[in-house]
Amino acid sequence: MKRFDCMTRLATRLSDELVILSLGASVDEWYNAAPHMREASLFQQQLGCVTPQAFGLAVGLPDRRIISLDTDGGLLFNLGILATLGNEQPKNLFVVVWDNEQYQSIGGPKTHTASGRVDLAGIARASGIDHAYTATTLEEFDAHCAAGLNADVPYVVVAKVSGTVQPEIKRKHSDGREDKYIFVRHVEKTEGITIMGPSEHN
Amino acid sequence: MQQSAVEAVIRGLKRAGVTLVCYLPDSLFKELYPALDADPDIRTIQVTNEGEGAAICGGLFLSGQRAALVMENSGLRASVEPLSRMGLGAGIPVVMLMSYRGDMGENNWWAVPHGITMEPILKALRIPYTVERDEADIEQAIVNAYELAYSSYYHTAVALSGSIVR
Repeated sequence: MKRFDCMTRLATRLSDELVILSLGASVDEWYNAAPHMREASLFQQQLGCVTPQAFGLAVGLPDRRIISLDTDGGLLFNLGILATLGNEQPKNLFVVVWDNEQYQSIGGPKTHTASGRVDLAGIARASGIDHAYTATTLEEFDAHCAAGLNADVPYVVVAKVSGTVQPEIKRKHSDGREDKYIFVRHVEKTEGITIMGPSEHN
Repeated sequence: MQQSAVEAVIRGLKRAGVTLVCYLPDSLFKELYPALDADPDIRTIQVTNEGEGAAICGGLFLSGQRAALVMENSGLRASVEPLSRMGLGAGIPVVMLMSYRGDMGENNWWAVPHGITMEPILKALRIPYTVERDEADIEQAIVNAYELAYSSYYHTAVALSGSIVR
């Protein structure tokens, strides 16, 4: 199963959701798989931060569906967030974990899931997230997207994907700071709120 | 902590518009955590480590609400990586309120590293901070930390020490 194909399926289901995603090769893939979600996506957040940031966003915007596009390396960096989600039970958070069993962006050294013994969905379930599943086919992944985007409990799908990167796709040019401004202005516009307002004097 | 100091912290957080506190409990702020849990205007989320708390606070910032990361100063060491990435990489601010373990008067050997490392780490990350030792200064110090964090879109910190936490 290719990550890009999964992203394309997920993207067709999205319109007014907000997405936070990991750094790495999935950045350019998501940029191309979901062009209508570019402003609604906060790209390239660091290992261990993606799902916690998405959870914080979900807490602040309880009426908005928030999606975390995390990775095996990123989730393994901070497994504790699964226990926090298990206790807090956010109603509007859908977590996708792209599990390619490797640190792809630095050339592909294996992560702990490569052994076949470490089961991230199992860890999530044992942490109190009842709806945590592993998807190995596109059809399974798509069905979990349908369920996860409509769940009123935290929902985790670990997508077992190959280590390939979609070839010949457009590169995203902005850095983390520009990404933040684009994302914040989108949230401001769609929520009708001010997040980064004017100073006292200009 | 005296009840009056607990109340000063909560007054400061409310004046600053804080709606969420992420915390990992510690001993010096022992009385603060249940008071925050009981406050109807502030949601509390207990986290598994302070770096996770920093990231949740950063996510809440993106929603337009205001968060605080409350912890012992040892939690600063656990938070350095997410703070560096969010603050220096993206300009996502986190405001921290920490107990100053290892300050003058410390009587636990294990807390000595916390005192030695806290201020150098804050300086290495270029995080503006104040150390408060007088209860009368707590409320305004917290308000000021938010003013600067929301002007700079960078982290700020307030450390409470001395008779406030002893």
